[in-house]
Amino acid sequence: MRTQYRLGIDAGGTFTDFILADKKGSTQIFKVLSTPTEPTKAIKNGLALITEETGLTAQEIVSNSDLCINGTTVGLNALITHTGAKTGLIATKGHEDSIEIRLGHKEDGYRYDPDYPPATMLVPRHLRKGVSERVISDGTVKTPINEEDVRAACRYFIAEGVESVAISFVWSVLHPDHENRAAEIVREMMPDVRLTVGNQLYPQVREYTRTSTAIVNAYLAPILQRYVEAIDAYFRELGSQHPVRYFQSNGGLALGKVVSDQSVYAINSGPASAPQAALDVAEPWGDKNIITCDMGGTSFDITLTKDGQANVNKNIDFLRYRIGIPMIQVETLGAGGGSIGWIDSMGLMQMGPQSAGSEPGPACYGQGGENPTTTDANLVLGYLNADGLVGGRLPLDVDKARAAIKANLADPLGISIEKAAYGMFTIVNNNMVNAIRRVSVERGYDPRDFVLMGAGGATGAHITALAREMGISKVLISKLASGLCAYGQIISDVKYNYMAPAPIRLEGGAAAKKLDDLFTSLEARGRVDLAGDGFAEDRISIRRSLDMRYVGQVHECTVEIDPFEVTEATIEDIKAAFHARHKELYTYDEPHNAVEIVNVESTIAGHVDKPERMKIAAGKGAHETLKGTRPMVFNADGIAQDTPVYDGSAMGAGDTLHGPAVIEEVTTTIVVEPGWTVSLHDTGVYVVTADAAAAQDQSVQQKELAEV
Amino acid sequence: MANRQVDPITLSVVRGVLETTQREMTLALEKTARSSVFNLAHDYSTALFNHTPEMILQGQDIPIHLGSLIPAMKSVANFFEGDIHEGDLILHNDPAYGGSHIIDTCMYYPVFYEGELVFWTVCKGHLTDIGGPVPAGYNPEAKEIFAEGLRIPPIKLWDKGVPRDDIMNMLLTNMRARRDQEGDFNALIGACQVGARNLTALMDKYGKDVVQDCIAELLEMANAHMNGLISQVPDGTYSGTAILEDAGHGFGDFDITATVTIKGDSCHIEIESPPQIPYFINSYEGNSYSGVYLGLMMFAQLPPPYNEGLYRNVTVDMGKKGTLCNAQSPAPHMNCTTTPMETLTDAVRLAFEQAAPDKVSASWGHANGCNIAGWDSRHDEEYVTMVLASIISGAGATASQDGWHACGPECCFGALTSGDIEMLEHSYPIIIHEYGLMEDSGGAGKFRGGSGTRWAVEPLDTDMTLVTFGEGRRIPAMGAAGAKSEMVHKKVGRLEITRDGETQIITDNVIETIKPGEIAANLNPGGGGFGNPFERDPLKVVEDVRNGLVSIEGARLDYGVIIADADTLTIDEAATAAARAAA
Repeated sequence: MRTQYRLGIDAGGTFTDFILADKKGSTQIFKVLSTPTEPTKAIKNGLALITEETGLTAQEIVSNSDLCINGTTVGLNALITHTGAKTGLIATKGHEDSIEIRLGHKEDGYRYDPDYPPATMLVPRHLRKGVSERVISDGTVKTPINEEDVRAACRYFIAEGVESVAISFVWSVLHPDHENRAAEIVREMMPDVRLTVGNQLYPQVREYTRTSTAIVNAYLAPILQRYVEAIDAYFRELGSQHPVRYFQSNGGLALGKVVSDQSVYAINSGPASAPQAALDVAEPWGDKNIITCDMGGTSFDITLTKDGQANVNKNIDFLRYRIGIPMIQVETLGAGGGSIGWIDSMGLMQMGPQSAGSEPGPACYGQGGENPTTTDANLVLGYLNADGLVGGRLPLDVDKARAAIKANLADPLGISIEKAAYGMFTIVNNNMVNAIRRVSVERGYDPRDFVLMGAGGATGAHITALAREMGISKVLISKLASGLCAYGQIISDVKYNYMAPAPIRLEGGAAAKKLDDLFTSLEARGRVDLAGDGFAEDRISIRRSLDMRYVGQVHECTVEIDPFEVTEATIEDIKAAFHARHKELYTYDEPHNAVEIVNVESTIAGHVDKPERMKIAAGKGAHETLKGTRPMVFNADGIAQDTPVYDGSAMGAGDTLHGPAVIEEVTTTIVVEPGWTVSLHDTGVYVVTADAAAAQDQSVQQKELAEV
Repeated sequence: MANRQVDPITLSVVRGVLETTQREMTLALEKTARSSVFNLAHDYSTALFNHTPEMILQGQDIPIHLGSLIPAMKSVANFFEGDIHEGDLILHNDPAYGGSHIIDTCMYYPVFYEGELVFWTVCKGHLTDIGGPVPAGYNPEAKEIFAEGLRIPPIKLWDKGVPRDDIMNMLLTNMRARRDQEGDFNALIGACQVGARNLTALMDKYGKDVVQDCIAELLEMANAHMNGLISQVPDGTYSGTAILEDAGHGFGDFDITATVTIKGDSCHIEIESPPQIPYFINSYEGNSYSGVYLGLMMFAQLPPPYNEGLYRNVTVDMGKKGTLCNAQSPAPHMNCTTTPMETLTDAVRLAFEQAAPDKVSASWGHANGCNIAGWDSRHDEEYVTMVLASIISGAGATASQDGWHACGPECCFGALTSGDIEMLEHSYPIIIHEYGLMEDSGGAGKFRGGSGTRWAVEPLDTDMTLVTFGEGRRIPAMGAAGAKSEMVHKKVGRLEITRDGETQIITDNVIETIKPGEIAANLNPGGGGFGNPFERDPLKVVEDVRNGLVSIEGARLDYGVIIADADTLTIDEAATAAARAAA
């Protein structure tokens, strides 16, 4: 860091987190309420709060920061509430409806539900205009473009007051001229409109994905543009010496101009920084296989990092819209502190996905909530302090929690309140375990090979239980856990994705040459873009990925490789990597069968200096921080035992304690189950490890659980 | 609530693990399969059975397989009774042993624990070819099942862990596009292994007995749940008859009748259908179960997962052996999973409509699709496939909303995906000129049926064989609760072949050769409407007109909404009121 500070701002649904790192290694978190309708307001409020608490003015911080980083949900909110721009689509005639046909599919789980509505069309049918033109699968032109059709579409859009236009033609990725010509005409006739061109935004094979991605982009672009302009102007006013960086769902930073042009990259950026934060927190131990769990009030977000690389999703349905661009895989489950316990129509106890939210909130908040929630269960089990959450600002009512559990679960099932509460805890944990399998087992990874990292305020109560269920023996929880994503953003690199279609069979010298040329040209573009942004050659790194399959398969599996010259000889290495990945994912491979590529991508990153780590002074032993004891339940029998409670904020480096125990921090509570040992590292990270003997007892304990 | 033998918490956890197991089997199958029919159409199912064998979990699979795995599994277990060993893997497709149609091949993997048979993991998928005279199996000219492809009675593909490569080679030698079929067999086997691995881990964790107790309880709970739903229906006998149109066999239209008798918490369904015919629309008993259960599910409206407990108090009599819905060898049957299954479903749905009028939706457009085959000169290899994008019809409207566009056919209920058109053109030597919604195709109603689709194809540079199947080219999807349409010809499907500027309309199932330069367009019907169309809000009709879903003429004829100005789409209020009053 060349200057004094680095400022990160992560606007979430409820809270906007501020993280201020200074050169000397102190890192502080501040939280204010988000202001979704006027996003800049929360930023002003947050800077005012920092001034109040530190005495530093907004100008002092901003003008003296090397980077001001912003993670935003404005795009996400516009997509959720369908309040994006009025958008028109220009498509190949005959294919205007692909985004409404949605491959003919109704989402699983709703098959026989008569009330489940179709996805809201971001572009209604009358604003989707066909143009006579056609390129075919070998990239040649079958029908030349009829320019008059484009003009007619523009005239209609002008009459309708369209603000943003997407152009997406069939096979435009193999022959972009038609789309590019149509774009020229639109710019000429509608000079003020925002324009998204399919082959430029997402140059990958798959018409439906490309068109849908282009539409989402077009729909959000004017919104993001207004936002970025307002933020940029505000920070310039404060004397910022550098452009504001925006965080993207690919896990990297970008300039405002990029985010307003490629707004689709900004939609789910918040949780996408977790892998970066996790790698940084775990660096002192060299851990590069990490699963992060972030539990808040309503949801539970999971990411996975293998060998230092985060899982990436491409071509997925996000909020019911197909999006192609690479995004950090974030598996979200409706399991938070507010998740409601209920009995389903079959008579089974379930947790979530319905949530009591913050209004009325869990029964124990005493705000009129009558449904039993995860937080109520954790309170009844003794894990949470009835004096209250968030440093006592929110007292909890145990009697209300017990009453809600009794009426809704314990009595109908004929079991005690404590047993029901432990059941709620067990079921919500199992839901989380099943979700963790989606990022691990379903990706061909064994969760036991990973470290579990806690993030968010509510995760600490569940983290050792989750690790136990998954067979994971090491858990890390940073003191910054409740703001881990904001922290991840300030230590992230600038990252751009460059893609190209590559429908080629992986055989022979010509195919190798073609592939090598493709990667080389993509990466040349990336180097130019990053050099223009001030990154020297030695600060640029490249990752390549190829979407590959056996000839005849319909789906691809993504194979990541380091950059090397692709030749007839090294093609064999690429194939070997594919066979191995296929086997890892699906239990078998077919080494004798032909392999083909569909799409390729290079991710180019420009490295940003990291701020200094937090430093904690040595402690005097955990016993010095013992606050007292509380009865807590750690077994399915529901019988409580007196359990020590420690003050985390008083603990020093090297302080060590054994479960069962609870560590109370200001914004989180860590439950240490029997069989686990915790020690605070001098970088401000709690290291939680399974005792060897306890691991042995696990299976016994689970069998007992089943028999109670 | 059922009488519990087990800890309620463990029960919830075991259910979750079973669900995850089935999900992971499905993913393994879907991501690796070659056949677009099963990885895009989701024309497969994965299920778990216990040792008895009773189906203990099926997920959100295609409704075509809702019922048919149950009789098939029992038939296969019975065939090898006393000869089932650890490491065996059984393959089967024959409808005489409970199969649906022979192109759906099924793998059954017995899961042993401590030397004892505890579970079966089962996967079934629609291959792209099963041998026989016509590529892709659908042969409208077949008079017998023997003219449709290879019949496979239960056989062991692995014997005590040893793969029988000779048998596999015999099978593949009889099938087109060998590479694809081999890949699909591997995918099915892989999915069975994934399931077995998870079930073994589950028993390691909780113990075999606890897991089995939980499963017994889950079956009972499902039974109790369905019984509760049935009990809400007044006792009595309810009957529904649906008409199956003659799609080219020349035997005329047929009635299929379902009679549902409700007595307390039990339900008996009796099917009556005409004698089987020498045409590929006969349904053997296994497949007919799916048709009946889909009709039942339209009434029960249950979310997944499902188990056999749901059907304990539901008995079904498919009618006399040798009839259309209870066929026997040598009846040809390849089309049965859509035709007559959808009409059978409609009959059951109509019967339930009498019994529980508030719980029933309109019919969905029936399947009428194409298979294509030929030579791919780009790679010098043959190709053959069913085209999912050619069978996407509209969904029926419900009591609360318009039908989904392009979500059918009825036998799939939104389970299939049609595939990206660029990927289709990459995989097969074709040009897809059109894949879009069709004006006036949704059934008229207070809630409109979803729009059907038009799919137009031209071969790239070699002749293409095109085979059609299904029906719904004369009789539209049935509406519900008083829905009716005037413009019927817009709401049905058909094949349109354009050669040298002349367009031929074909409503029979045919085998055609399409040359480069010629275009075949397959039209799929819209879904049925719900409620009186003259009660539909005129502004909604105008919105449909603006979006090209209803024409100005359709607004007038189907909805009694008179649009005065085609540009501004203003309504002539007086004329509209008069037209609606006159109805």
